[in-house]
Amino acid sequence: MATLQSMLEEGHLEQEQFANLCVHLDWIQYKQNFREAVAVIPCAGELAGGLPIFEVHVDLRQIAPGALRAELLRAMAPANPGFGHHSPVNEERVLLEEYRPFRASIAWRFNHLYWQRLADWEKFTGRGYEEALPGGRSDANHPLAVADGVADFWTLVRDLDVKKQLPAEIFVLEIGVGMGTRAGLWLDRFHKLDQERGTNYYPRVRFLLGDYSPATLERSKAAVLPHMEQCSFVVLDALNPIQTLSFLRHKIQHIHLTNVYDNLPDEEMARRDGRLYLVEVRAYLHTADAERIAGDFEMSTRDLGRCIERLLEAGPEHFGDRTRGISFWQQVWAAMRLDERLVCVDDLRAEAMPGELDHARLEETLRDAPSDVRFHLNSGALESFRNTLPLLATRGYMQVQDIFVTHWSEFQLGFHGPGKLDGSIVNWVNGMLLRETAERAGYDVHFAPFRYRDGSRTSMLYTTQRE
Amino acid sequence: MKLPILPTSVVGSYSMPGWLERLKTEYFARRISRHDLDEIHDNAVKAAIKDQETAGVDVISDGELRRDNMMDYFLERLPGVQIDRSSKKFYYDFYNCSVQGKLPMAPLGLAGDFQFLRSFTDREAKFCVTGPHALTKRIHNEFYPSEEALAMDLARVLNLELKELVKAGARIIQIDEPYYSGFPDDIAWCVNTLNTMVEGVDAKIVVHICYGNRYGKPSWEGTYRYLFPRILEAKVHQLTLEFARRGGEDLDLFREFKPPFELGVGVIDVKTQAVETADMVAERVRKALEFVPAERVSVLPDCGCFHLPRDIAFAKLCAMVEGTRLVRKELGQ
Repeated sequence: MATLQSMLEEGHLEQEQFANLCVHLDWIQYKQNFREAVAVIPCAGELAGGLPIFEVHVDLRQIAPGALRAELLRAMAPANPGFGHHSPVNEERVLLEEYRPFRASIAWRFNHLYWQRLADWEKFTGRGYEEALPGGRSDANHPLAVADGVADFWTLVRDLDVKKQLPAEIFVLEIGVGMGTRAGLWLDRFHKLDQERGTNYYPRVRFLLGDYSPATLERSKAAVLPHMEQCSFVVLDALNPIQTLSFLRHKIQHIHLTNVYDNLPDEEMARRDGRLYLVEVRAYLHTADAERIAGDFEMSTRDLGRCIERLLEAGPEHFGDRTRGISFWQQVWAAMRLDERLVCVDDLRAEAMPGELDHARLEETLRDAPSDVRFHLNSGALESFRNTLPLLATRGYMQVQDIFVTHWSEFQLGFHGPGKLDGSIVNWVNGMLLRETAERAGYDVHFAPFRYRDGSRTSMLYTTQRE
Repeated sequence: MKLPILPTSVVGSYSMPGWLERLKTEYFARRISRHDLDEIHDNAVKAAIKDQETAGVDVISDGELRRDNMMDYFLERLPGVQIDRSSKKFYYDFYNCSVQGKLPMAPLGLAGDFQFLRSFTDREAKFCVTGPHALTKRIHNEFYPSEEALAMDLARVLNLELKELVKAGARIIQIDEPYYSGFPDDIAWCVNTLNTMVEGVDAKIVVHICYGNRYGKPSWEGTYRYLFPRILEAKVHQLTLEFARRGGEDLDLFREFKPPFELGVGVIDVKTQAVETADMVAERVRKALEFVPAERVSVLPDCGCFHLPRDIAFAKLCAMVEGTRLVRKELGQ
């Protein structure tokens, strides 16, 4: 506060700006992300009936002691060009795109490349994807959690059997199987439980391992080797599973996903003073970073954009030497930042809203939210969820393990992404919007903390049939 | 009104527009008046009538667009049923309700809905009423010694209502019993309540039994075999069943048991937005004709079109009509 007060007194801030200033201190932060230590987020366009909002975001992890004032001045300079600061923002940066919704950003093309070329990335870094997770391993594979999940499923199957409603084939689907570890553990456990209880359900299980990467599916086979008779490997788009599996509409008894939704395309929105804003982004590199990378790879900064485009289209082989290509990829990814601006939703065409969301539904959903809140739309997760639910059998249920925000107020308490997790993007997932989507499809949604590992930030979403 | 052979019809509900959903919820939030909502309903029903007529459906309904769902519209009109009006967040949710004493015998006052439908169409009109078994499953019974006893009194009340509908001009009445398939053992007593409900009612009685369509998904699995032979004692004229989604295997029951009533064959899967072609419909009708003579078959969707977007629902009805015409031609009609 003292810093801001002094900036006002010294004329670095106008009185009106100070009066409308909104400062966000982000306590929860991804170590790797797309933000500067201090970022000013402008509002695009003219607003009728009021001053544009003026937001400053401070990442308390990045900020060095004593550097706040300098960082604030640097970040605010573009907003106050008349105050004698000569650092027009675009001269400091090499822009990689124009402003657009986050979902359409080049950042997601990097994310796509990562999953397509995961093996290359892992080989280059010398560590597996799971090792990059905050806990060093995936909570999905916790043996106790898997065992409890299997026990619940067995109970459902038994109940259906007693009521003579158990179909001849018992379909189970896992979307985003990774190395197949969880699928293998699940099948091991189910087989064992089935034998212990003498129910003979195991031979009727049809376990579908779904992933959008054929290479990942291939790798997962080793983990389920003893159960190959029960397994099918399905290349599917996590955004639209029903498109691939429409023949299993209303036939799958259990669907599981772990850490899939947090990596699906996303937009963010903000509500300020009763108005809704879409957060648009623009990817850039600091000129210094761009010059360093261009120098390392013997190209001019002008050629950088074209090379990035070729990398995203053709992969690291574009550089001839794959190792060199991956090195270029990693350097660009590490240096990439995102500018943000707010665009009033009133200024956007209706079709700019993602998925089936429209203003009226969103406003309705936001009725329980704080008046000032910035939140993830997770349009990719919503799309995926909506296109997965129709696969569930009458008594079937879905289980999603992920990093969920389950109350609107949580969005006020921290920064929930986008972060960088190795070469991928990670966002917290808006549980309230998933709940709304599920209710309209006939399911109640419940969230439970993941209780099998201390300190885990993941929680479990599970569905129950709505009356 | 003379109907063609293989008359086409609907199971009752028509596509619920998103805007109507929102307005209904607005009403529950007390942001619009009952008067305005009634006018909105009138206009929505007129549009549903027009769509069915344009699609070429022979026997139409009011689209049930005044109803929040197939339960509450009846339960809140039943004297003696206690409704917890705070128990509903979304208009489509079910109320919590209970019965704490003997139900008074009085009709529900639905004749006005039928008269409205009648006044806006020259087509044959069908009116749909939720049956006593389904209503019983939604009521917390704190008075009657058994579900059957409660259902029987509900049947008596509904019998009064059906007679009022006949007085208002209803000639085809459909009774919806989607919960039979979820509680197949109840069929032992369900037929008694059904017969009580239709006793002395001078109209063509259709009974619709499906596997549920709540939120556009099935509520139960199984086969229709549980209905037989008990259902043969039902004093009804037509049994309307779903076959499009489930396939036609159960049609064989009609050959095996030779029921005395007509078959309403479901040829449109209302649980998917994929629109059937006329050829697909024709094939499903032909399949039914292998088991039941054409003179005793009507053609319908599997269930109500409530959860389908309007353009999809309309396209499905058009396909149903066109597919039926193809078969009629083959029959020389």
